[in-house]
Amino acid sequence: MTDNTDVLVDAQGVKVHFPIRRGVIFDKTIGHVYAVDGVDLQIRRGETYGLVGESGCGKSTLGRAILNLEPPTEGSVTFDGVDIAALKGEALRKKRQDIQMVFQDPLSSLDPRQSVESLLFEGMKAHGLAKNAKEARPRLVELLNAVGLPEAALLKYPHEFSGGQRQRIGIARALSVNPKLIVADEPVSALDVSVQAQVVNLLEDLQEEFGLTYLVVAHDLAVVRHISDRIGVMYLGAIAEEAAADDLYATPLHPYTRALMSAVPVPDPVVEDRREQILLTGDLPSPSRPPAGCRFHTRCPWRQETKCDTERPVLRIPEIPGVGEGHRVACHWTEQIQSGEIQPHEVAPTITDASDLGAVDESLMGPASISEAL
Amino acid sequence: MTTTTPRDTNPMDATPTDTSNVADRDKARRWQQGGSEPLLKVRDLRVTFQRQGQEPFEAVQGVSFDVHPGQTVGLVGESGCGKSVTSLAIMGLLPARGNKVTGTVDYEGTNLLDLSDQQMRDKRGKDIAMVFQDPLSSLNPVIPIGLQVTEVLERHRGMSRKAATPVARDLLDRVGIPDPDRRLKDYPHQLSGGMRQRALIAIALACQPRLLIADEPTTALDVTIQAQILALLKELVEDTGTALVMITHDLGVVAGLCDEVNVLYGGRIVERGERHDLFAQPRHPYTHGLLASIPRLDAPRGQRLNPIPGSVSDNLPWTSACAFAPRCSQPIEVCTQKMPELVEQHQRALRCFNPVEANR
Repeated sequence: MTDNTDVLVDAQGVKVHFPIRRGVIFDKTIGHVYAVDGVDLQIRRGETYGLVGESGCGKSTLGRAILNLEPPTEGSVTFDGVDIAALKGEALRKKRQDIQMVFQDPLSSLDPRQSVESLLFEGMKAHGLAKNAKEARPRLVELLNAVGLPEAALLKYPHEFSGGQRQRIGIARALSVNPKLIVADEPVSALDVSVQAQVVNLLEDLQEEFGLTYLVVAHDLAVVRHISDRIGVMYLGAIAEEAAADDLYATPLHPYTRALMSAVPVPDPVVEDRREQILLTGDLPSPSRPPAGCRFHTRCPWRQETKCDTERPVLRIPEIPGVGEGHRVACHWTEQIQSGEIQPHEVAPTITDASDLGAVDESLMGPASISEAL
Repeated sequence: MTTTTPRDTNPMDATPTDTSNVADRDKARRWQQGGSEPLLKVRDLRVTFQRQGQEPFEAVQGVSFDVHPGQTVGLVGESGCGKSVTSLAIMGLLPARGNKVTGTVDYEGTNLLDLSDQQMRDKRGKDIAMVFQDPLSSLNPVIPIGLQVTEVLERHRGMSRKAATPVARDLLDRVGIPDPDRRLKDYPHQLSGGMRQRALIAIALACQPRLLIADEPTTALDVTIQAQILALLKELVEDTGTALVMITHDLGVVAGLCDEVNVLYGGRIVERGERHDLFAQPRHPYTHGLLASIPRLDAPRGQRLNPIPGSVSDNLPWTSACAFAPRCSQPIEVCTQKMPELVEQHQRALRCFNPVEANR
């Protein structure tokens, strides 16, 4: 599995920074939202890579950057040997045949005025896989069968389906152009629990049938753990820990992963009663002003006086015996925390202003309006 | 702006917390043995939406349950099962036009459904308070947080604004908002989602209500923030003896928080039980199916999920069948012929002709 030819997606030092602009006459950039700030990520052919994290951690942006829907500010994304971050125009459009996306909200990602037939055929036509709908018909029926919808669905419109069925259409559309990689951004979070399981199982079946590679972006750790082979835990634009799904659950090393794991409610009162919860204090800091050093140090119960607030930890393989292969963690003190040498302590909560996103360095700010400029 | 405030130790901010509590389980048992009078008795609550030119739709079809003082009762179900409509009906928050609410909602001997709007306004926020899902849309965006808390105190406790301000400050402090003096003057948009939800809880608790209804209070929040808010609710319920009705779709939340759990399907309660009993031995195929379809963080990997087939749109009308029959894993003939009744037995209630075997 470590063979380089196995790697389908290789992202190196990916950064996506969104400028914060202000001003009418002088359109000045007064700061940046560091949505993704230096991520190295490899996805192997045929595996499911899960990206988890809380809202605002940059997981969706990273997913979009891999598709080049959001051109990376810095870094490269190599897909099957081709640097797609450098592709433009027609070449990029053609390459997108290999990378498809499934979105969170199936109702808003399907055009309400297009029939299912037209929705599924559109991509095929764009990539020259079929000339007209009639010719494509057998393929369309096959696609619908694959996602568990009847042939009669072809003539219907998105509003005629339930949430779960719409998500199936979204998946069929992604499949229609024979992609190699599917990026699924929160594919089940808009669905009811009983329907979630149907879609999760469908994704697993399709992977087996078509040999797909998935990048699943989700906030629900239980879902991600269920479908992923490897998981990357993101915090404030960077990967805090990466490991095989089982390893991550068995030995979460990064303090953030530990807290995240302990916060996920388990539908079993016996487990819930016995559980040791690590309650994080305060909020996620603003991504426009990430803390210096380790990004998690403001909320970390294991924070140390040195290093944590000055030096940014790199993702590394810890020197802990028994840790699974490929288990990487971005923490200075992993070994000491794991051995119990460093004990958790209390953390004073830090509060983040929601309005902080806009409020950056005052000295850089231009006038906000014409009247202010005058 | 980011501020760090060193504060006195506050139990909910203490880092590693063990939430296990055996005493609290025993408490639940005590209620069931009839130790106290119920605080809230909901009987045969029905809500019908009547829209011009459309068939009337009965969203809640005869829901009955009790809430004892200090007890936490969960209403669980998927979207469209009527859980939120039930809570709005109890609070008298459904607009009179186009909605018909029948049955009784007995709060300490008063049927809330008989009260006039004025009388209900005196109860709401004072005796019964509510926390909603989306704190940003339930807080007034153009009024500072502090004023929104003092407003309740002024209205129900007749305090002057001056006298209410320190109380509001203490409330914000109580729910774990750092630097409450400064936050009093903040507007909702200046707070993060978790802080807004805390502010909303502070408003709900301002008059020390005896009953708190929380409608999906953590659904819009991230898991780590959700854990904070659930720990806060749990602690407040234990400290103040407030009864809590927790409405949620998340069985995990229910498992850790509720003493008694009601599972709703298609506007009716299909199963009820003490949380340990219910989760250990779900008898209704729907409850059973729900538990089997959720990926669990602690489950061994490689297991396939067992989804419930179909969707809510496949439901049969309750009047002539079991609504769940088309999606059920073990239907028998009678399921599609008449409606099963909710049968109470051994502190459990079940609405099913062919329940899942108990020896699991």
